[in-house]
Amino acid sequence: MKEKILQTLRELRAHAVQQGAEVKISYHAEDSHLMRFANSAISLNTNEQLSRLEFTAFDGRKRASYEMISGLDDLPKLKQGIDHAIEMAHHAQALTYDPTIPLYKEDFSDESGFDAGLADLDNETRLSYFNQVAGGLETEEIKLSGIFSNGTNTLALINTRSEHTQYYCFTDCQITVVLAHSRLKWEVVAEQSAQKKAELNPAALHKRLALMLDLYQKGKPEQLPLGKYDVVFGSAATGAWLDFAQYIGLDGGEMKRGGTFLAEKDYGVKKFSDRFTLLDDATRMETFPFRRDYSGIDRGVFPIIEDGVFKSFVWGQDDADEFGVEPTGQSVMHLSLAVKGGQKPVNSLEELLAMPRDRDILFIPYIHYIGIVNPTEGILTGSSRFGALLLKKDGSVAIPYNVRFTQSLLTFFGDGIEWLSSETVPYNTSRSYGARNPTAIIVPRFMRVNDLEISHSNQSY
Amino acid sequence: MQLQIKKELDRLKGLGASYGDARWYPMEDAEQMVMINGNLKGNASSNESGIGVRVLYKGAWGFSAASDTKNLSAVFDRALDNARAASQRVTFPVRLAEKETLEASFTSPSKQDPFTVPMAEKVNFLADMDHRMDQPGVMQRYGILNFVKKQIMYVDSEGSQIEKNITEVFAFLQVVGMDNAGVMQSRTFRLNRTGLTRGWESIDREFFATQAERIVSELNQLLVAEDCPKTSGSVILKPMQMYLQTHETIGHALELDRILGYELAFAGGSFVTLDDFGKLRYGSEKLTVRANATVPNSPGSFGFDDDGVPAQDNLLIDKGILVGAITGRQMVEEANAKARKPIFQGSSGANRATSFYRVPIERMTNINIDAGNDGSLDDIVSKTEHGVVLEGDRSWSIGSNREQFHFGTEMGWMVEDGKITKVIRNSTYQGDTIKFWNSLSAVGDESTWELVYVSNCGKGQPNQIMQLGHGIPVCRFDNVRIGE
Repeated sequence: MKEKILQTLRELRAHAVQQGAEVKISYHAEDSHLMRFANSAISLNTNEQLSRLEFTAFDGRKRASYEMISGLDDLPKLKQGIDHAIEMAHHAQALTYDPTIPLYKEDFSDESGFDAGLADLDNETRLSYFNQVAGGLETEEIKLSGIFSNGTNTLALINTRSEHTQYYCFTDCQITVVLAHSRLKWEVVAEQSAQKKAELNPAALHKRLALMLDLYQKGKPEQLPLGKYDVVFGSAATGAWLDFAQYIGLDGGEMKRGGTFLAEKDYGVKKFSDRFTLLDDATRMETFPFRRDYSGIDRGVFPIIEDGVFKSFVWGQDDADEFGVEPTGQSVMHLSLAVKGGQKPVNSLEELLAMPRDRDILFIPYIHYIGIVNPTEGILTGSSRFGALLLKKDGSVAIPYNVRFTQSLLTFFGDGIEWLSSETVPYNTSRSYGARNPTAIIVPRFMRVNDLEISHSNQSY
Repeated sequence: MQLQIKKELDRLKGLGASYGDARWYPMEDAEQMVMINGNLKGNASSNESGIGVRVLYKGAWGFSAASDTKNLSAVFDRALDNARAASQRVTFPVRLAEKETLEASFTSPSKQDPFTVPMAEKVNFLADMDHRMDQPGVMQRYGILNFVKKQIMYVDSEGSQIEKNITEVFAFLQVVGMDNAGVMQSRTFRLNRTGLTRGWESIDREFFATQAERIVSELNQLLVAEDCPKTSGSVILKPMQMYLQTHETIGHALELDRILGYELAFAGGSFVTLDDFGKLRYGSEKLTVRANATVPNSPGSFGFDDDGVPAQDNLLIDKGILVGAITGRQMVEEANAKARKPIFQGSSGANRATSFYRVPIERMTNINIDAGNDGSLDDIVSKTEHGVVLEGDRSWSIGSNREQFHFGTEMGWMVEDGKITKVIRNSTYQGDTIKFWNSLSAVGDESTWELVYVSNCGKGQPNQIMQLGHGIPVCRFDNVRIGE
């Protein structure tokens, strides 16, 4: 299939060259499978096989793109798509800057993230995984929900500047398992992100859920008073805050447009805890990385924040063109964000529960529905979900109703950070509204932040 | 093609399927133009076609979709295979509420097909608006045009065959500036219902020019305004914020799949239980809410849903009491069985999918609040002692069971002793859903009622973006936490 894809792209490129046009051609294919559970049943079992071709044509500074959901067989139809994009470009308005069409100097192919075992996973395996995770944990009142999503992504690029192609093919898997009390409405969760079949580990999720269920069934629920708490965020919560940091903090184009809480004057300034280091690390396979960006720039380890000091914005090609800066290799569908682990040898929920504590600790595993309150100040708001715990200094564990945080990212990742777990894990942040785009952020298993204020406290589950 | 689809559905029934349907999209064209500071940054169009097949086997759903329809049988076979696999874990076998078998069609109201308008005219329109917004105080200017035209051929194994031809037009202008404290402020205009048709004719240059002038003026007021105080008082919501309050804390909370626990893996549940219907005082007596998919000219009016059920107008909340939900054929059967009483009299026709490659789920139609008898905005302000008037959604975050919320708005005005005293910025408010709606103390009359379009409601896994509407008057709520 790979050769057919590349050959088709070359033929389409030849057609564009014949028209005397400058054209970028992008092919994206997905084979997506989703088994969804609700009320302890499979509520939906789907698969989608979709391929998209996008043609971006240039006429000097004019630019236009045309996308088709289409197979590769109908070459005349695809050529019409190119013609359509060329025609659109003629009628577009010129940009105020010169858009770059990359010159690929060699063929590039990366299939290191492809795993045949994951690509060929069948329905029985998906169901068996869930049965193992949930085995013995469901009751009349405690119901299973969740998803098992896996798929294969293929991306291929060519343009009229050269005959060379870029080709990427990788597999991914995102698993969420929820056990919810149908009457009391509390929920606990266990999740896994995987890039290979061998990484699937239903036993770990079962163990996590069994422990959380035990705590929730025995623990006393409490409405927390508003005020400041020492908070331990789980990997999902940390990943969720960072996911939003991408939009309002790290992107150079957004910074120039005034939509970020970090500014050019912050280069080299300590803005965060010296325990906090954030990289765009395309060497980490768990992030489903693009190891070369669409402009042909090799991607490796790119420091964004080092020991709390802001090092650099990330610049995709188009914004770099517009604002006259050098692109930094982030013209990709998603970054490969990775937080460096810390020193604290607390790497499991059991270890967190057993840790001696001289103050109450609020454990927040997950943040639901984050809103951007004020991008200039980095203020986000979101509520806890999926199994918060109040670890009391007397060693007991209570169950807090959900609480809301409304704070700046400069506070979440600021000097209040007491410690980070020594181990890191991928947290899957995929949200495929259109084309499949698996994404994960590497985060410490736990991050403790002291004196964080909660702005709302629920009166019930 | 429809004949082939019927044959395939018959074949699957022969293989043990109890029900099947298919949505064939011969074409879905979309066009988006994004102009930022005079640069046409986005200039994209797309064409999609394909088929989605849904099959019921031993009480379980299977779904399959493909853009390539040459091997149609394979798509149907995959859907059946998926349903067979799903049937290994069934706790409540899917049953579908009765419906009428229909051969019908629906075409959304549109005078001038936006896809026939030359690109140069669209670009010229955006450039004109960009020029008008290029004023002192404005740091960033955004103009967006979105057009969609799609044809959907629905066929099911019960004999229904429905054709839908839908044209959507969405438009957006925004100005952004830096205030005197170094914080970004924005004002936004989004095209809502302006007439009874929605084609290129709704891109009225004069009307947009007026709106561009308004948002620039309001932005400049924000740049030198005081911050919203931290206080407690009345919140008067204009339609461009009131729609979101309704959307997030009534609309999503009353989707029956959420109530029954079908969205717990991601979007969340609802604080509403089956016992609440007919009993729960959701809001004050001034609150009457309906799901009305028959309102003319709205993205939430679509003729027939993707179960093949005709659009309807149903009460959700009647004078404050919860009486209905947003439903499809599957969920009403399950809800009635679990409640052991007939809460719902059939599907309300709200099961929709965003594309051929997504499965239908309960979606909002037009979730509307009836206009009240508390007069105009000025009338309501004049009877307010202490509070704020807010509009323009800026941020939103809602609890997983829709039980509480926090909103931030673009624009605010202080109200003291029945008068608007000043513009305020960085306005926020928060509350608990039931307490908030029960504090509803004034509902504006017809003069305040607007039909607001929503182009980007997200729900489901895989995620689906849906278009819908909210017909909303100005409303006032009392004793609300403001400015936190």
